Amino acid sequence: MAVPLQGEVMLPERIADLLGLGGIAGEVVGGLIGALIVGNVMLAMTGVAGPWAKRKITAAFTDRIAVDRIGPFGLLIIVADSVRLLSKELIIPEGADRPSYDLAPIILPASALLGFSVIPMGSGIQLADPEAGLALVFAFASIASVALVTGGYASNNKYSLMGGLRAVAQNIAYEIPLIVTAMSVVVFAGSLQMSTIVAEQTSTLISIAGVSIPAWYAFVNPFAFVLFLVANMAEIGRNPFDIPEAPTEIVAGYQTEYSSVYFVLFYLGEFLHVFLGGAIMATIFLGGPAGPVLPGFVWFVIKIWAFFLFTQWCRSAIPRVRIDQLIEIGWKGMLVLSFANLVLTAIIVGVIA
Amino acid sequence: MSWIAIGALALVGIAIPLAMMAVSALLRPAVPEQSKSTTYESGEIPTGSGHVQLNIQYYMVALLFVVFDIETVMIFPWAVMYRSALEAGTPLSQALLPMLIFVGILVVGLVWAWRIGAVEWTTSLRAATQKTERQNT
Repeated sequence: MAVPLQGEVMLPERIADLLGLGGIAGEVVGGLIGALIVGNVMLAMTGVAGPWAKRKITAAFTDRIAVDRIGPFGLLIIVADSVRLLSKELIIPEGADRPSYDLAPIILPASALLGFSVIPMGSGIQLADPEAGLALVFAFASIASVALVTGGYASNNKYSLMGGLRAVAQNIAYEIPLIVTAMSVVVFAGSLQMSTIVAEQTSTLISIAGVSIPAWYAFVNPFAFVLFLVANMAEIGRNPFDIPEAPTEIVAGYQTEYSSVYFVLFYLGEFLHVFLGGAIMATIFLGGPAGPVLPGFVWFVIKIWAFFLFTQWCRSAIPRVRIDQLIEIGWKGMLVLSFANLVLTAIIVGVIA
Repeated sequence: MSWIAIGALALVGIAIPLAMMAVSALLRPAVPEQSKSTTYESGEIPTGSGHVQLNIQYYMVALLFVVFDIETVMIFPWAVMYRSALEAGTPLSQALLPMLIFVGILVVGLVWAWRIGAVEWTTSLRAATQKTERQNT
C-alpha cells in the first residue's frame, strides 16, 4: 500500500522525519499532526467562505456592498460572526430523536473532512495515497446523505423530513452519473490512485507557439468535464439543484430545526462538501495542484475557490429546478449521457491506442 | 501505512465538531421556554407528529440505484485495466466487447424501467384531479 510514486513523500512521513520519530509512533504522530494541518486549512477556508466570501460574492452579483464595517474589507466579520453564532441558544425541538439529532451535525463535517485525506493539495500536502483513492473519496463524500436523512428524521418536523428524503432522492439520482463520468477519466489514467491521476495529466497535450497546454482531462474530454460539473453540483446540493433545502418550498429542509452550534456545523459541513467537490474536480479534471509559476498549493486553492465562485454564481443566476424535474434530469438525462460518454471514451481510446 | 493517516483525519474530523460544541456549551445561554421548543410549521401550532407518512416517490428508483451502483463497482476494475490491456496487445474484441455487452444489458433494464414509468415522479390521484379542474375552469 501507498507506494510513493516519483519519490513523492506523503505529509505524515515528512512530519515524522522532521520530528525524528520512526516506526509506528512516527506514523501515528505524523498522521495526527498532518491531519490537524489539513483539517485546519480546510476549516480556515470555510471560515473565509461562509461568513465573508459568500456574502461578498452574492452582494457583487446583486449590486450591493455587504459586510464592510469591521476590519479591512470587513474581513474581521469572520471572528465576530463565529463568536455570535457559537453563543446562540441551542433550542432542541419537542420530540426530537435525541442521539441521532446530535449525531447528524457531527457526521456531516466529518465525512467531508475525511474526503480530503486522499486529495493531493500540492507542495507535498497529501495525507495518504491509497491505490483506491478515487473510489474512497466518493465513498467518503456520500456519507453526507446519511447525516442529512438522520438530521431530517430526528428533528420531528415535517419540512425536515421532506428535506432529508429529498436529499436521498437527489443523491441516488446523481451518484451514478458522477461515478460513471469519473470512470471515463480512469480509462485514460489507468489508475484509481490520486497521485497517478495527477501525474498522468502533466504530459503535454498540444504546443501552440511555444506555450504547451497540459493534458488536463478537462481539455482531453471536455464533455465529461461538463457532465461531472453538473452531477457534482447536484451531489453537493448547490443551485440549481438545492432541492433538499429549497427555502421557498420547505423552509430550510433538513436543517429547519437546528440552531446555535448545530446550525454552524451543518453550514460548515456544506461548505466543506462544496470545497471537497471542487477538490475532486481539480484533481481529476484540472491537473490537481499543477500550474505555472506559483507553488502547487496556491494553484490548488485557486482551483477550489474557482469552483466555489462558480457555485455562488449559479446561486445568483440560475433558478432552482423542481423535484420532479430533478429526478427526470438525473435518471433520463445525466445517466444516459454519462454512459454514452463512458462507452464513447472507451471506443475512442480503443481505436486510437 | 496510509490508513493510519486516514484514521487520524477521521479522529480530527470528529474532534473539530465536538470541540466547537464544547466551546458553544460554555458560551451560550439557556432560557428554556415552552413555545420556543415547538417545531416550526409556518408559525401555526404543529398538527400531529413530524413523522408523517408520505409517498417517498423513489422506491423503484432506489431499487434501480442498487443495480447501477453495483454495476459501477463492477466497471471500476475494467476501467483501471483497459488501457494497459490494450497496450499489452489484447484485441478490442476481448478488452471492449464484454464491457459493452455488460453495459448494454443494464441499458435494456433502464429502458424497461423508463417505459413502465419507474423513473417518473408519480402524482397523486387527487393532485391530478385538481389540476384538470383548474384547467377546465
